[in-house]
Parts: sequence; structure tokens; C-alpha cells
Amino acid sequence: MTPTKTGTGKTPPPETIDNVFPRHSGKTYALAEVMPGETPMVGKGPEGTVFSYPVVLLWEVVLFLGVTLSVFLFSLFKSAPLEEIANPLVTTDPAKAPWYFLGLQEMLEHMHPLAAGVLLPGAFIAFLVAVPYVDGACAGAGRWFGSTRPLRSARRHVGWIALYGLVVMPAYIALDNAFTLRELLRGSAPQWIAQGLAPGGILVVLVLLPAVVVRLRRAPAREVVMALFTVMFVAAVVFTVSGFLFRGPGFELHWPWRMPDGYNPWDAL
Amino acid sequence: MDSNDFADRLTASRIWRSVFRHGWSGSPLDRSLATTSNVFFHLHPVKVDRRSLRWSYTFGLGIISAILFLVLLFTGALLMFYYVPSVERAYPAMKEIQLSVPLGQFTRNMHRWAAHLMVLTVVLHMARVFYTGAYKPPREFNWVVGVFLLLLTLALSFTGYLTPWDQLAYWAITVGTNIAGYIPLLGTALKQALIGGVEVGQSSLIRFYTLHVAVLPAIMSLLIAVHLWRVRKDGGLAANERVEEE
Ligand code: HEM
Repeated sequence: MTPTKTGTGKTPPPETIDNVFPRHSGKTYALAEVMPGETPMVGKGPEGTVFSYPVVLLWEVVLFLGVTLSVFLFSLFKSAPLEEIANPLVTTDPAKAPWYFLGLQEMLEHMHPLAAGVLLPGAFIAFLVAVPYVDGACAGAGRWFGSTRPLRSARRHVGWIALYGLVVMPAYIALDNAFTLRELLRGSAPQWIAQGLAPGGILVVLVLLPAVVVRLRRAPAREVVMALFTVMFVAAVVFTVSGFLFRGPGFELHWPWRMPDGYNPWDAL
Repeated sequence: MDSNDFADRLTASRIWRSVFRHGWSGSPLDRSLATTSNVFFHLHPVKVDRRSLRWSYTFGLGIISAILFLVLLFTGALLMFYYVPSVERAYPAMKEIQLSVPLGQFTRNMHRWAAHLMVLTVVLHMARVFYTGAYKPPREFNWVVGVFLLLLTLALSFTGYLTPWDQLAYWAITVGTNIAGYIPLLGTALKQALIGGVEVGQSSLIRFYTLHVAVLPAIMSLLIAVHLWRVRKDGGLAANERVEEE
């Protein structure tokens, strides 16, 4: 450590651990200081708590037994599918991705793969990561649909927005299937508009619309984020269900109970 | 020597002490050591708030996801005893598992259904965390860890999908990896790195297999441990934060 000259106007050397706990000094004590600051444990007393050992442990054991038993019983009755050996020369019809990617495959039917498979899902993941940084207010945490405003209005909003998604998203799929925007615009607009911007942009507007309305009504960030999450979640579910249940041979839309050629989507789990 | 004597000698023995560092006498010291020196408390707080145990708050979805992961590790290890990741032998190995390995079909069923179920419970867990506002400070980072857990769950499920080497597997992976090819600039390179060539074949199978049984489960185990430890370090579940409304 460099020696300090006092009174020269120079800044003193930075505090190091050696100032507080001198080495080799032979002292049997040290100075400690209480600093102002917070940890997540502030304000959490033992009131209303139980010992996690064994209470939580018991819960976990019970859940473990319940979950394994359910999977066990289901596996007794329903077997995993195994089709013919892989053959690169024979395409299956329909050729479907695993069920959790069928939302993506459904989107591919409506727009360019760059928009459907990369940009929009990428934006969804980016939105998820950003959620806690966009809505950083602590109020309303730990409560279903909690917000700074009265609970009932927030819950009602989520209900309406979910309903909106349940109407708008199937309508998007059905209308585009009937009129095929890409075909209508072919020739009259450049490809990146016909295949990408137009169908992708419409979907983005449909997703943003409720959030914009909520925002204009001066709702807190929590409710804006809640509107966005709800529409995206419902959209993901609708697209996945459509790709999984409603797409038959040729990846054409059919009613699940009227699939041609004896195709049963459930066989492909 | 009666049984009490035996228990005392056992819990005083060097071998016992090397494992537990405390006796079983019921003295206050032993009793407190029995809890505070317990590995259980790396991932759990000593005391938890009653409100965070409410079923209607979590629906147990996080724990259920973790349990399904354990079921998958166990049944997956059993399947590995018989499975060979080669284009010639993978499919016959699947047939053998189903037809001649004792409980083979059953083990395969459990592995597959648990995998599908886990994707479902992880997604529902995310929705639960979102709608209870449990991502708010100080839990922002654990939410981000969670997003990566979701992506990992999908990646594990997707890589496992190729292993049976049947038509279902082959074409699902072909369709799935084609999407990766559309990423601007990197797409083609990424797709080829993933499947080890221009189309799905032996090099894809061995890559998917290695990711599925070694790389991704290792990352997943670590990240789940971080996630649960972080729940404790963030002050338990957000239900503790709840302010009652008048
Ligand atoms: C493999 C996947 C996952 C496992 C095994 C897992 C496990 C858990 C467990 C056991 C808890 C304790 C509370 C509960 O059971 O609900 C928890 C809480 C939490 N998880 Fe996860 N999780 C996973 C994925 C996710 C995902 C996808 C997210 C969000 C994107 C997430 C975010 C959180 C947060 C923020 C908490 C704290 C919740 C609170 O304070 O109420 N986790 N997780």
C-alpha cells in the first residue's frame, strides 16, 4: 500500500480489505460495519411459516408418487408409436414436426419461413426475456392477475383478451386459408411484401392491438405486458392446435373428426 | 446388545460420522445439526411461508416438471442399455426393446409420455409464474433462467424425437431442421452443423443422440439446480410478497 500524504489535497487510496482486516497485525479482533442496504429477506419474519423439512419434503414425496403413478398407469394402456424404418425416399403424408413445433409449421403455411420460423418466434422469446425488465414494479407480485389496480378489472381484462385471441387467431388461419393472401398479392407486390410483410404484419397488428388499447387507457405496465402475453399465449395454442388436430394429408385443413384416408393426428405423438 | 445400544454404537461410529457429522441422540445439538447440515437445504429454505404452499398458487407445476425430469433420467438410462445410435441398428434396437426386453415397451412408453407431459407442465408453469406476477423484482433473473429451461426442454424433446429412426422421427426432424435453414446468414451453416451434412443421416443421428443423452441433460441438471437455489435466495416464492387487498 502506498503511504498517504495528508493535507496535500490528493485523494486518499481506495479502501481495501487490508484497511479493515489488517494482515499479520497479531490482532484477535476486527472491525465490522453495518451497511444500509436490502436483501430479498428484508421484512420476512418467521410468522406464518412452517419448517420445510419435513413439510415441503412430504409434499414433494407425495407429488413424486402421484406423478410417477399417473405416467405409469398411462403407459400401461397407451403405447408409444413406432412406424416403419426411416426411409429418405418415401415422404410421409402429412410430414409433421413434433407437436410442440406444429404452431411454427402452421405459421409456415401463411408466410415466408424467415418470418414464420425465425423472426416472429424470435420476437416471442425476446419478449419473454424482456418481461421483468419492462414491468419492474413490485406491486401485485405473488397474486393471480395481480396489478396495481383492483383485482377484478385486471382479471376481466385478461378474460376479454383471451376471448379476442380465441376469435381472431382461428379467423386469421381460416381466412388466409380461403383467400391465400400470398396468391392474391402475387404479381402486384414484391415478394417480400406478399410473402413476408403483409401476412406477418397483419399477425403482428392483431397481437399488438389489445396492448395498444390497454396502454391508451393508461393502464400500468403490468397490464400492457399481461395483454401481450395473453394474446401471444392464446395465439401459440391456437396455431399449435390447428397444426396438430386440423391439418391432414397434404397439410390441408380438415375437421379432426372428418380426416381423409383414415389419418389420425393422435397416432403421431 | 439391545437395539438401542446398537443404534448408539452405529451413530457414534467413524463411518457414520464421516457421512452425517452428528449423532441421533435427540439432544438439541444433534437435532439442530440434523437440519442445518442437511443437503436438502441447498435447494430449500429452512422455513417456508404457508401462503407459498397453497396449491392454488403454484399448482405444483414447477415441482412436477422437476419430477418428470427425474423420471426421464431414470427411464432414459434404462433405454440406453439397449439402444445403439446407428442408422443400421437403431430401429432394430427399438423393435428389440419393444418385443424382447423385459418391460422394454413399458419403459419406452414412460419415457415418451413423461417427455410430452414435461413440455406441457413447463409451459403451464411459465404461464402460472407470469400471471402471478412472480417475475417481478427480485426474481427477474430467475425468470430469465426459466426461459432458458423452457428452450432446453424443447431441445431435449426434439433431439430425442430422432432416436427411434422411424418414418415419424425422420420426417419430423427433416421438417424441423429445415426451419433453422431460414435464419439469415447463419441458417445454412447452423442447419448443417446440427444435422452434420445436407440431409438427415448417420451424422445427424449421432449428433442428436450425443446432445440428447449427454450435453443437454447435463446443462438441464445444472440449470434446474440454479433455478431452485435461486428461488430460495430470492426470498422464497413471490406469494410471500403478497399484500392483502382491503
Ligand atoms: C425445466 C423446467 C423448470 C423447472 C423444473 C422449474 C422448477 C421450479 C420450481 C420447483 C419452482 C418452485 C415453485 C413452483 O413449484 O412453482 C419454480 C419457481 C419459479 N420458476 Fe421455474 N421451473 C422450470 C421452468 C421455468 C420457466 C420456463 C420459467 C419462466 C419463464 C420459470 C420461472 C420461475 C420463477 C420466476 C419462479 C419463482 C416463482 C415464484 O416466486 O412464485 N421456471 N420453478
